[in-house]
Amino acid sequence: MSERSVSRKKQEKRWYTVHAPEQFDRAELGDTPADEPEKVLDRTIETTLGDLTDNASENNTKLKFKITDVGSDAAYTEFVKHELTRDYLRSLVRRGASKIDAYVTVLTTDDYRVQIQPVAFTTKKADHSQERAIRETMVDIVEEAAAERTFEELIDSVVEGRLSSAIYGEAKTIYPLRRVEIKKATLEARPEEVAAEEEAAVDVDDEDVDVEADDEA
Amino acid sequence: MAEQEDDKWGVAHVHASFNNTVMTVTDLTGAETIAKSSGGTAVKQNRDEASPYAAMQMVESIADEIRAAGIEGLHVRVRGPGGNLQKSPGPGAQAAIRALAREDFEIGRIEDVTPIPHDGSRAPKGKGGF
Repeated sequence: MSERSVSRKKQEKRWYTVHAPEQFDRAELGDTPADEPEKVLDRTIETTLGDLTDNASENNTKLKFKITDVGSDAAYTEFVKHELTRDYLRSLVRRGASKIDAYVTVLTTDDYRVQIQPVAFTTKKADHSQERAIRETMVDIVEEAAAERTFEELIDSVVEGRLSSAIYGEAKTIYPLRRVEIKKATLEARPEEVAAEEEAAVDVDDEDVDVEADDEA
Repeated sequence: MAEQEDDKWGVAHVHASFNNTVMTVTDLTGAETIAKSSGGTAVKQNRDEASPYAAMQMVESIADEIRAAGIEGLHVRVRGPGGNLQKSPGPGAQAAIRALAREDFEIGRIEDVTPIPHDGSRAPKGKGGF
């Protein structure tokens, strides 16, 4: 392969402009080259919230989008992930204070399965019982929020910080909190996938289960 | 050359260990590689592959390639070896970013993407004298 053939190959590639989902005003995210449109599908692109909203103070939030649709020179995406940057999360962790994590997998009203990971930071070391209480309220609020929202609304409330401030308001009565964030929100399954799983699922009789189920009741 | 709008962005992945520095410049999605280089392309001695000097030479050698693709700005994702090895990037990382800035690329976000275990296997034992 000579140098020339490589550069000619590159010229055949077209650049596709990647757009954010409607929810984020179809903002331009950047460009990606490909020789065939199909190859653009399923690529993921990561930006910060600050880039999308022109607000440099929000650069601690990363958003990941996946390309789902390709036009002649444009590609359209869907939201797949929201994440805080590692350095920001690290900057919140203090010695002598508690960090309370929770992992909640929820189903939205329009059948998207989303995993949400809220995290709370207290001002001082909290007792284990207080940590547990805070974790419980976090899980409850997230589950409630998902039960009455569509996927888009849920993501909006995560991205705009409404969900985390709701948790803050509830949980600060248990122990003084310094900060509550949603550290991660991941799209796990789309409605079609959830439906397919349900179809494939088999009911199992209680008698067939060989485990003592007494720890829950 | 693709002379287009000319304000495209790319991502410079810099893997800086204590034994080598590997740079891969891709588009924003990371799916298309635009240019790549590693320590061995710049220096002869194996032990110099991780050096800041090698990193500078590497950037210089791929700068034209990046510009030819129409890329003006770069986000940087640095990583060290990670896992159960060192969590901090090696000596080549800083030099590579400096050199990119000196080549007149706009530097966007700089992010550390070292893989950190949520508790994996035990770290290798120390070598004598360290």
